[in-house]
Amino acid sequence: MKEVILSKRSQTFIEDLRVYLFSSGKKEEEIEEIVTELEDHLIEAEKRGKSTEDIIGKSPKTYMQQLSNEMKIDYKTWMKYFVIIIAGVFSISIIGDILNGPISYSLLEIGGSLVISLLFIMLTFWVFKLVSSRSLTYGIQGLLFFLLAIVPLGLFIGLEFATRSITTPVVEFGLIGTWIAGGLTVVFLISISIWAKTLVLPVIAAFLVLPEYLLGFTSMNEETMLIWSTIITYAGIGAYVLFTAKKSK
Amino acid sequence: MSTTQMMKGILDGCLLSIISEKEVYGYELAEKLEGYGFHSFSEGTIYPLLLRMQKEELVTSTLKKSTAGPKRKYYTLTPKGEQELEIFITKWSDLQTTVNNVLNKKI
Repeated sequence: MKEVILSKRSQTFIEDLRVYLFSSGKKEEEIEEIVTELEDHLIEAEKRGKSTEDIIGKSPKTYMQQLSNEMKIDYKTWMKYFVIIIAGVFSISIIGDILNGPISYSLLEIGGSLVISLLFIMLTFWVFKLVSSRSLTYGIQGLLFFLLAIVPLGLFIGLEFATRSITTPVVEFGLIGTWIAGGLTVVFLISISIWAKTLVLPVIAAFLVLPEYLLGFTSMNEETMLIWSTIITYAGIGAYVLFTAKKSK
Repeated sequence: MSTTQMMKGILDGCLLSIISEKEVYGYELAEKLEGYGFHSFSEGTIYPLLLRMQKEELVTSTLKKSTAGPKRKYYTLTPKGEQELEIFITKWSDLQTTVNNVLNKKI
């Protein structure tokens, strides 16, 4: 029965603060604590006719920084995201490749994927921090998120081309190696899901890989199959993301 | 510098002093400061200070149910915080005397 009587401005500030601290790598419980405390303060203050600026000062960004400076960085959580994304990138490509026979990767592919994943994580946190601490127009925000999606994709495509023209030592897995890698990947996907308490990785992997594989058993011609598997992949992932977003609200 | 720098140290001391009287929550603390005459700063300034004082173990906090609904964080001084307050009081009265001496040109 909590009545929300907070002004729009204060509400925006509270939401932005949460995102800002989160993308600065702070601990979730500590973020929740300070955010609740400030929300409470803002409610009390607004009841007595004070404005958002009376509380947080003229620059929300400066104030967010001041708070952030006094909070510890939660390296464990950072590692968690890092591991999930790296493992995700590798397991999804391994699972996709396994269905086409024994796998092999060049050193360039392996190293490149690692670097791109790392870049992607840093870019993500940077964009969220930027968007939450500055008043950007919707156009610019949209552009930033678009870049966030397109840059890693472009880099992966670039890497794909680079591996075709630049020869680096290739790690051949062989048949047994491939089975072991596949088994490890599945175990990895399951344990990551349990550890991070989210099914997002296996679900994405399944939607990326299964449609093409299963449709291969039908009598469809190649083109229709490709179109349908792509549609199922994107619709499936989209539906899953929407579903979880709704559930978490 | 740093009127802000100087202010921070002074604010720290004042916060410690107010918390030492009885346990308080954030808004109460800001209101008391204002009541004593601190008008020129934005109320939110106290939270980064409180966070640091918690990190330095000068204050601790407990969550308590408030009548209004949400749980509130109440602050109390630790023994270390009490010591720090003592130090601040001594330093401040020294500073006050010194500055007054200078202003009044007496030795």
